[in-house]
Amino acid sequence: MRKNLNLSSIMQSKVTWAVIAEMLILLVCFAIRPDFFSISYQPSTGMLYGSLIDIVNRSAEITIISMGMTLVIALGGTDLSVGALVAVAGAIALKFLRWDVLEYTTPGDYSVCPYILVLTVPLIICALMGLFNGFLVAKGGIQPIIATLILMVCGRGVAQILTDGKQFTTGYSPFRVIGQGSFLYLPMPIIITIVVVVAVALFTRKTAFGAFVESVGVNPSASRLSGIKADQVILIVFLLTGLLSGIAGLIYSSRIMSNDSNNAGLNFEMDAILAVVIGGTNMSGGKFSIIGTLVGSLIIRTIVTFVYYFGIVAEATMAFKALIIAVVIVLQSAPVREYFAKRAAKRVKVSGGVQA
Amino acid sequence: MKKQSVFSRLTNPKYIMVYATIGIFLIIYAFGAFLYGDKGFMTVRTFVNLFIDNAYFGISAVGMTMVLITGGIDLSVGAVASLTGMFIAYGTSVLNLHPLTCIFAALVMGVSLGLLMGWVIHYLKVPAFITTLTGMFFARGVCSLISRESIDIKHEFIDSLASWKIYLMKYVDGNWVRIKPIAFINFNVILFVIMIIIGTFILQKTRFGRNIYAIGGNEQSASLMGLPVGRTKILVYGFNGLCSVLAGISYALYVKSGWNLSLQGGELEVITCAVIGGTLLTGGVGYMIGTLFGVLLKSVIPALITFNGNLLSWWGKIATGLLLLLFICIQRFVVTSSKLKKA
Repeated sequence: MRKNLNLSSIMQSKVTWAVIAEMLILLVCFAIRPDFFSISYQPSTGMLYGSLIDIVNRSAEITIISMGMTLVIALGGTDLSVGALVAVAGAIALKFLRWDVLEYTTPGDYSVCPYILVLTVPLIICALMGLFNGFLVAKGGIQPIIATLILMVCGRGVAQILTDGKQFTTGYSPFRVIGQGSFLYLPMPIIITIVVVVAVALFTRKTAFGAFVESVGVNPSASRLSGIKADQVILIVFLLTGLLSGIAGLIYSSRIMSNDSNNAGLNFEMDAILAVVIGGTNMSGGKFSIIGTLVGSLIIRTIVTFVYYFGIVAEATMAFKALIIAVVIVLQSAPVREYFAKRAAKRVKVSGGVQA
Repeated sequence: MKKQSVFSRLTNPKYIMVYATIGIFLIIYAFGAFLYGDKGFMTVRTFVNLFIDNAYFGISAVGMTMVLITGGIDLSVGAVASLTGMFIAYGTSVLNLHPLTCIFAALVMGVSLGLLMGWVIHYLKVPAFITTLTGMFFARGVCSLISRESIDIKHEFIDSLASWKIYLMKYVDGNWVRIKPIAFINFNVILFVIMIIIGTFILQKTRFGRNIYAIGGNEQSASLMGLPVGRTKILVYGFNGLCSVLAGISYALYVKSGWNLSLQGGELEVITCAVIGGTLLTGGVGYMIGTLFGVLLKSVIPALITFNGNLLSWWGKIATGLLLLLFICIQRFVVTSSKLKKA
């Protein structure tokens, strides 16, 4: 093991607190609804059903985006444009599916352009937009939060103009598969999420790329002097985030089988940043945790599901989300963690326990 | 201290960004005058309308500028302003309270939320982005808990305040007449101008204002110098809460209703105004006069699109984005060239 595992260091780890918080929320759910953990098989759709499956399924977009966001935050920045890119991806996909929208207004099971274009063009455009962000940050030396603010402001405008400010709908079944289909008894978004998370984890942890990102996040000039191509690292990270936002955009628009340039991806950047921070990655850059981000994203979705169970209106979930997140963040804040770590260390000393 | 001449004070390079904002505003305004001068773009009315239609953004931008100068950020302003509107709407039409009572409640709520967020940011060392994001979720959620429907505000006090206006007059042949086309300023415009003046005074003439710049320049040095870093930061967020509530009142007077989803994304528009006005998000640099012109510059684009009449309003967003890009590039250029000079 790389780390010296003792109680004090575990209590100081933010990921521990995130996992504890998730467990507590799930336990409360279980106490209120004993059938919360039950999972059943629905033969008609070939999918497993249950609250847990639903939480993972519905968190797919945020999880996928927050994988890229983790790397951006590890570089010491934030990407505000992801929500707008989700809208752009949806608008482009629907534009290709329904190029004929002016002649035929009823959506049918067909696509005007080849399906391969529907899938690839939005992803390529989103990746290019990510690259644009990366270019401003790496070559222009602009703070990521401002550089990405530009596309956040423009992006929805671009999406609206692509679709003439209209909302297209489609009934093309291969497109439906992305958001509503199933594979190996699991909803498709879960499969895509697993693939993305594993790919990002392998890319960052099995190659040196993760270490490069952390190094650039801590000190860009020092990493440049030690031979890391900092600019290249920044470009790749922003490109990846753009691409992942595109994937999330396809899933989102496939779920509603339509484009919604006003509401698609609304506040996704906020949720993704929250997921990353709850997951223990520091906003000032440096070390990051893919698993932590995954847990953080699940926490956010679990809270929403939890609040639904109380029968509270959808928009008001935000207030409860805020309260629970406030508790998690306060527990994770440096002074509080130090306090707990000190107490844990004292207890070990008093009981004459194993010294690390 | 040596007294500098007015000229050398005005040509100080630290004002370059402010001049750039004013310059680009004048260029765009002249462009509009050239294209749509015959449709009435050059009238006083069009100019005053820029203030009337964007007073609420401007009021909020005053507080936001201070927060940005300390190196922080506040994402909760739109939600707090929306909540203020909701307080007034729900209080007057459902609870039958006097609007002033509702406004007082909103002020207490906004300022204490701001102070609380400032406390969490300073003492618990949670990033400002995350703290105020949580504040935004909270305020927005409470809005929706109060009502999911838009509530009309019907109260004589609000009506009289909203319709109160001063007509702009001109002196013709020994008596005052209203200028044509009729232009007026209302309560919102006066509040906006007063807030800009108060903001300028705080930043330039008080110890508190100098502390704000010092913290934004380098928080560690400021604290080593013995400046009250914690108190200043908490008060800045409190003041921003106050500005958000005033912006909410102004917005409520403007649309005369409260809606739980109003001003969604307003926080980023306000930040955009401040950035266009020359405030650096890294902290330490920013002027109220720049913010004033930032608001005007951002609001002249929708005005141009309205005058054109053929363009989709979405082009406004794209134009704002491009403007932001332009300003960031200018800022970047100014910062690098001033660094080169120092070196």
